[in-house]
Amino acid sequence: MAEDSEANHCFLQLRQIHKRFGGVHALRGVDLALELGQAYHLLGENGCGKSTVIKVMSGAIAPTEGEIVLNGESFSALTPIQSLAAGIETVYQDLSLIPNLSVAENVALSEQLVHGEGRLARRLDRNQLRVTASTALASVGLPTTRTFLTTAVSDLPLAQRQLVAIARAIATKAKLVIMDEPTTSLTRREVENLIEVVARLRADNIAVLFVTHKLDECYRIGGHAIVFRDGECVAQGPLSSYSKADIAELMTGRKIDAHRYRAGKPAEEKLLAVQGLTAAPNFFDVEFSLRKGEILGITGLADSGRNELALAISGVRPADAGSIAVGGAAARIRHPSDSIRHGIGYVPENRLDEGLFLEKSILDNEIALVVARLANAWGVIDDGKGRDIAAGVARDMRLNTTDIDMPVGSLSGGNQQRVLIGRWLTIEPKILLLHGPTVGVDVGSKDTIYRAIQVLAERGIGLIVISDDLPELLQNCDRILVMNGGRFVADLDASRATEEDIYRAMLASTPETVQ
Amino acid sequence: MTLFPIEKTGAAERDAGDRLSIGGFVRRHPETVTAAMLVAICVAVAILNPDFLQPSSLIDIVRASVVTGLFALGVFVILAAGGIDVSFTAIAALTMYSITLLTTRYAPGLPMILVLVLAVGGGMLLGMFNGLLVYNFAVPAMIVTIGTQYLFRGILLAFVGTVWIMALPEQMLTFGRAPMVQFANSNGAVVTLPLYVLVLPAAAVLTWWILNRTLMGRAIFAMGGSARVAERLGYNLRTVHLFVFGFAGALAGLAGIIHVCSNRLANPFDLVGTEINVIAAVVLGGARITGGTGTVIGTLLGVLLVTVINNVLVMVGIPSTWQRFVVGTFILLAAAFFVVRQRRT
Repeated sequence: MAEDSEANHCFLQLRQIHKRFGGVHALRGVDLALELGQAYHLLGENGCGKSTVIKVMSGAIAPTEGEIVLNGESFSALTPIQSLAAGIETVYQDLSLIPNLSVAENVALSEQLVHGEGRLARRLDRNQLRVTASTALASVGLPTTRTFLTTAVSDLPLAQRQLVAIARAIATKAKLVIMDEPTTSLTRREVENLIEVVARLRADNIAVLFVTHKLDECYRIGGHAIVFRDGECVAQGPLSSYSKADIAELMTGRKIDAHRYRAGKPAEEKLLAVQGLTAAPNFFDVEFSLRKGEILGITGLADSGRNELALAISGVRPADAGSIAVGGAAARIRHPSDSIRHGIGYVPENRLDEGLFLEKSILDNEIALVVARLANAWGVIDDGKGRDIAAGVARDMRLNTTDIDMPVGSLSGGNQQRVLIGRWLTIEPKILLLHGPTVGVDVGSKDTIYRAIQVLAERGIGLIVISDDLPELLQNCDRILVMNGGRFVADLDASRATEEDIYRAMLASTPETVQ
Repeated sequence: MTLFPIEKTGAAERDAGDRLSIGGFVRRHPETVTAAMLVAICVAVAILNPDFLQPSSLIDIVRASVVTGLFALGVFVILAAGGIDVSFTAIAALTMYSITLLTTRYAPGLPMILVLVLAVGGGMLLGMFNGLLVYNFAVPAMIVTIGTQYLFRGILLAFVGTVWIMALPEQMLTFGRAPMVQFANSNGAVVTLPLYVLVLPAAAVLTWWILNRTLMGRAIFAMGGSARVAERLGYNLRTVHLFVFGFAGALAGLAGIIHVCSNRLANPFDLVGTEINVIAAVVLGGARITGGTGTVIGTLLGVLLVTVINNVLVMVGIPSTWQRFVVGTFILLAAAFFVVRQRRT
C-alpha cells in the first residue's frame, strides 16, 4: 500500500498499532487508512480485535505501540475528547445515549462539551442546543417538534434511539461515524431507513465504519471490506472483489458454507399444543403445535407479537386467554417456574441482561436451574455431581474450554450463548424456546450453535427458534411460522421456502407497510 | 442497554396520550404527588386545628426547614449524579463546631461573612474528600460516606471537643436573630421571621441554575443516567464527583453554622443521626434513589412535607412518637405510586 501518497487525503491512519492486555496480544500491528466519504465494513469473528481497534480510534484505550495519524497530525494515543473534537463519533451497540436526558440534550450536548474542550464550568446555551438538535434530527428524518425534543430518550422506540445517536454524530460535525453492530436489533424496515441515512452521510463527505456480522447488509451498503482475524488485518479492499464465502473464509481461516443443517425428521408424537392464545394487543388467537424432535421457526417484524408470544409460553408475561397443552395435558403457565416444571426451557434474546451471571463460573451458570436437586438432605450442594453435570454440558455444547471454573464473562459471545442453552439441558427439557439464538454471534460460533440445535432435536427435544435471521431459520427448521399483526399468517416448509416467501408474509398488508 | 422489544411498540402513541392525561403529567412531574400530599396534610391539620394557620406556626415550619433544606439540596445533587451521601451531617457537625470554637477562642471579632465563608469552604473540602475517595477507588458512595461519617465525627469528638459552646460570639448571635419580618402575635408575643431563612431560597435558586443552565448540571444528570456512557461521551467524571460532593459539603457546612446561630448553641453531638430524615425528604420530592432524576422544587416540597409532619402532628393530638410512622407511610405510598406508574408504561 502506498501509505505516503495516501496520507494526504487520508482522514485517519493507524500505523503498526499493537495492543496488549496483560498477556493477551489483542492487536498485532494493524495498518488501516480511512478516507472521508467512504463506507467501511470491519468484519471478523468475536474476539478478533474489532472492538479494540474501535476503542483505539475513539480514544477509549491507548495502544501499546504504533502511531495514529489524524488529519495529518501524529499521536501515540488519543483521548476521548481529542477523538471527538477531530470528528470521530462512535455509535456503540448500546447507542451511548443517556436515558434520562431529553432527545435534544442527547443530540446536541456533545457539541457544546467538545467546543469547551470538556470543561464543565460553562453556561449551557439552550438556544444553540435547540437549533443544533433540530438541524441534526431533521437530517436523519426525525421530527423536530418541541414535544419530541424534550422527550426523554428512554421513552423512544429502539429504532428512533438509533437515529438519535446518529443525529448526535451529525451534530458534532463528525467526519467519521463508527457504528458497532447497528442493525442487530432492528427490523428489516428500520434497516432500510438506516441504509438511507448512511447514504446521506456519505454524500456529506462523512466516512462511515460499520462493525457487523450481517454480510448481506454490507453488500447492500457497498464500500470497502476490512477483515480482521486474531488481531491482524488480513484483508482490505472493495467489497465487490470478495464473495461472501471469501469473507467467511478470511474471517475464520476455514471454509464455511451456507448449507442446510437440518437433516433429521420430527417424530409423530405431539409435545406442545397451543390454542386460542391471546394477549391483547400483542397477539390474538394463536394456534400451533410442536412435535417431538421438531424445530419450529417463528419470525415476524419486531412488533408482530412474536416476542410477546415467546414470553407468554415461557411464563414471563402470561397470556390473557387460550390454552397450552404439554404432552397432551393442559398446562397452566402463569410464571417462569410453571414452564420449567412442564419441561419448557426459555433462552432469552438478551443473554447479558436476562440470562447469564457473567462474573460467575461456567459451573455455577450451568447448574443454576438444578441447584435444588443437587442439594442433599442438609441443604449442602453436592459439588462433584454439579461438576459432572456442568462438564457434560460443556462437552455437549462444544464450549471452547474445558475449564468450567472460568467466569462466563471471559468467554466469547458465541460461547456464552452456548453456556446459556446448555444450562437448559440440565433440566432435561421437553421443549426449548430459543429467542434470537445467534444475535451478536460470529459466523464460526453460529455454526457450532446450529450443530448443537440439531443434536438437541435428534434427542427428541422440540425446539422453537424465534429469530430475525431468515437464513438461520431456513437452514435449521422443519417449519417456519410467520407472524404479522399478532397472528400467524404463514406456515412454510423450511426445506422449500425462500427468504422472499417469508418477507412477503412478514410485510403483507399490515397498516404499517402502507406508505 | 438493550431493551425488551415490547417497550418499542407504541411508545410514540403512548407518549402523545401521556401528554394529555393527568397520569402522564404526574409521571413526568412526580413532584406534583409531593405537592398533593403536602396540601392534603396541611388541609387536614388546618381543619382539625385552625391554630395551624397562625403566622407563628407557619414561621416555625419555615425556620425548621432551613437546615434540612440546605442538606436536602446537597443530597439531591449527589442523588441526581447517581451517588448517595450519608456523611453530610458529620461534615456539618465538624465544621460548625470547629469554626465556632475557633471564632470564640481565637478570633471573637471575625466578621460573620468570614465565618460563613469558612464554614462553606471547610464543608466543601470535606465533601471533596468524599468525592475523591468515591472516584479514585471506585468504592460505592454509600460505603465511603458511611466511613467518612464515622471518621469526621470521630475527629470532632476525639480531637476537637465534646463540650457544648453556650456563649457564642456576638456576630453569630446577631446573625441568628436579625429579623426579616417581625410582628406581634394575637396573644401579644413577638413573632420573628429571621433573615437567615433567605439562605435556603438563595441556595435553591443557585442549585437550580447550576443543574439546568450549566454544562456541569447536565453532566450531573448524565452521570446519574449512565456513568459509563457519560464517560465515553467525554464528560470528566472526576470533576463531576468532586463538584457534587464538594457542593453538598459546602451546603452542609453552611447548614451547620446556621444551625448553631439559630440555636445559640454549638453542640458537637447534634445533627448526626438526622441524615435519613433528609434523604427521606429528597426521595419524597420525587428524586429516584437510583439517580438521574428529580427537581429542586420537588426537593423543597419534600423538605416541607417532612418538616410539616415532624412539626404539626403534635398540634392535632398525634403523639410525636408517631412521626416516624407517618413519614414511613408516606414514603411507602409515594414509592408504590411511582412504581405502579412506571409499570404501566
